[in-house]
Amino acid sequence: MNLALKDARYHIFKFISSTIGVSLLLMVVFVLGGIIRGVILDSSTVVVATNAHLWVVQKDWLGPFVEVSKLPEDYYHAIQSMHGVAEASPLVMAWDHIDHPPASSGLMMFMYRNARLGTQTMVEPYWFDMVRELRFLLIGYEADHIGGPPMIIAGRGIEASHYEVVADVKTGLRLGEMIRMRGFDYKVVGLTKNIVGFNADPVIYARLEDAQNILFEPDPNLLRNIRRRTGAQLSGAEAVAPRLAEPAMRKASSLSENLHMINAIAVRVEPGVSIEEVAAEIRHWKHLEVYTSARQVNIQLMGANRLILMQLSLFRLLLLIIAGVIIGLITYTFTLDKIKDIAVLKLLGTQTTRIYSMIIQQAVLMGLLGTVMGAMMEFAAEPYFPRRVTATLGDMAQMLVIITIISILASLVAVRRAMQVDPRLVLGT
Amino acid sequence: MEQAIETKKLVMTYGQGRTKVEALKGIDLAVKKGELLAIMGPSGSGKTTLLMILGLVTVPTSGELILDGDNIYKGGKRDFQRLRREKIGFIFQFSNLIPFLTAEENITLPMDLIGTSAGKAHARAAELLDYLEVTDRGAQLPEKLSGGERQRVAIARALANSPAMILADEPTASLDTDRGLSVMRMLRKVSTDHGTAILVVTHDERMIGEVDRVLQLVDGAVTSDESQSKNQIQGATKTAPNTVERSEQVAT
Repeated sequence: MNLALKDARYHIFKFISSTIGVSLLLMVVFVLGGIIRGVILDSSTVVVATNAHLWVVQKDWLGPFVEVSKLPEDYYHAIQSMHGVAEASPLVMAWDHIDHPPASSGLMMFMYRNARLGTQTMVEPYWFDMVRELRFLLIGYEADHIGGPPMIIAGRGIEASHYEVVADVKTGLRLGEMIRMRGFDYKVVGLTKNIVGFNADPVIYARLEDAQNILFEPDPNLLRNIRRRTGAQLSGAEAVAPRLAEPAMRKASSLSENLHMINAIAVRVEPGVSIEEVAAEIRHWKHLEVYTSARQVNIQLMGANRLILMQLSLFRLLLLIIAGVIIGLITYTFTLDKIKDIAVLKLLGTQTTRIYSMIIQQAVLMGLLGTVMGAMMEFAAEPYFPRRVTATLGDMAQMLVIITIISILASLVAVRRAMQVDPRLVLGT
Repeated sequence: MEQAIETKKLVMTYGQGRTKVEALKGIDLAVKKGELLAIMGPSGSGKTTLLMILGLVTVPTSGELILDGDNIYKGGKRDFQRLRREKIGFIFQFSNLIPFLTAEENITLPMDLIGTSAGKAHARAAELLDYLEVTDRGAQLPEKLSGGERQRVAIARALANSPAMILADEPTASLDTDRGLSVMRMLRKVSTDHGTAILVVTHDERMIGEVDRVLQLVDGAVTSDESQSKNQIQGATKTAPNTVERSEQVAT
């Protein structure tokens, strides 16, 4: 006869309502875990999606996702020809923006207003005004090389040589929509999902040359200004070396127009070849730095997102402690309600371990049910969060173990109270 | 007849020095199997203390307690919980059934505690429910039972493990006269049919007609220990309904 279940069945409303309370708290714990996982996924998505073993960048730079490394485009041919390299792909990647107000659903507006309300004493006027710019991470890749969009959920990949892009759904862009970047119109031909930079800005993919044009082509007015200044500086040289002035002027102009720069080279190593050995070989070139994909993710995760991860983890720990305290308090009040029954049970000769087990079982049952309910609620709520929130069944399984331990510890106060119950309580009254 | 319980010079003192109170002053008591004994006395006479000692929830300052031939305080440390499970049944003033268990589960609980199989416990519970004339109330929670039904279920619970002794603490105090008498007759029947010694602590003099013996306690000492003849018992039983009628007439 399971006394814990019988008691829970009898006090079903109290038990369920308490369990719902616990589950709501645990849902927040799951959400925090989901946010942490979301940050981790955001920090690794592009690296993982690129499916490269190594990332080659400019010497002393931390990689294309956190710092603006610049390399001549043709370097990738040299790396491609190295022993053990299966594929080397030149990539351009940088944050950019277009004038395109973010999509604002009713829920999003509610969240915005809530955030605005919650921060109005913390910011200056207009700091929290809704922006009109859509920020994104632009990635340019060479056709038929790694680094392009990993999975198209709608539309198609880029097929034309120019003026087509694939955007993540988070941009709010629609299939067929035209967007203007640096004076040219680009058509959205495909959509991806959950492909974002480490700061959760969505990714837009373009052909390498288009991306170079967008990111590196100077403004025409600026270009004219540079040419004029260069000409003025070389005009003095004409008197000294007349034959050199003309070609020097042409060279200077072409240098200012050189678009053939890239930010990184993604490298896949041939099967059976040591990644570290290939990386060491590339490092022999004094002006290049190489990171493995794991290290690249590590730089983003622990470089850019370290503090927020620690903060969220600490908050999650605090919530778990609070959940434990609440389970303890509920179990304690349940036990107080049963003092007389416990006295009767003791008088009837019920083994003390069985009485204590009843209390502990109820706490654990509440914790486990609360965990499952909390996880279910979190799973249902995930799509409505503005940033990626991803909890898994594995998180739930882990939480079931943690909450079991917490529930047992939390019920010890109630057990201690039950230990103090004197069976004489029900005699002589 | 064989003794179910026997005490020798039971002494119980509380406190020390000037605050010392002698609750029991050398109680000698022997109750045979199948005997129904009423313990009476004014408040503070030591009834509850005696009940607690007999129920193995309090250890006396000195004296002996022999339960079903077993000298409890002789020898090594005893497992009082186990002895209570196996040898003693309890009935309380307010029945004190476990509220979250059905009537049948309340009865099977003591059997469950000593490891009786579920099937046997269920059969025994059904038998006891039938015996105590609450056959169809087994599936009900205590809150759905009347006061009299609750006490019958409490008696069934006390009987579940066929104990050597049942201790009843004011079992009729919360009942009206009719139901009180009905419970006492039930206890009478149980003691006769099962050979169980039943000790009833009561203030209710209307019920003493049902018992074999009345033990009077005053200031921790036995002032009288009187057996009642069968005629007295039967006479008292017969007069009881008249007593009820008279009280009802007065009330109206």
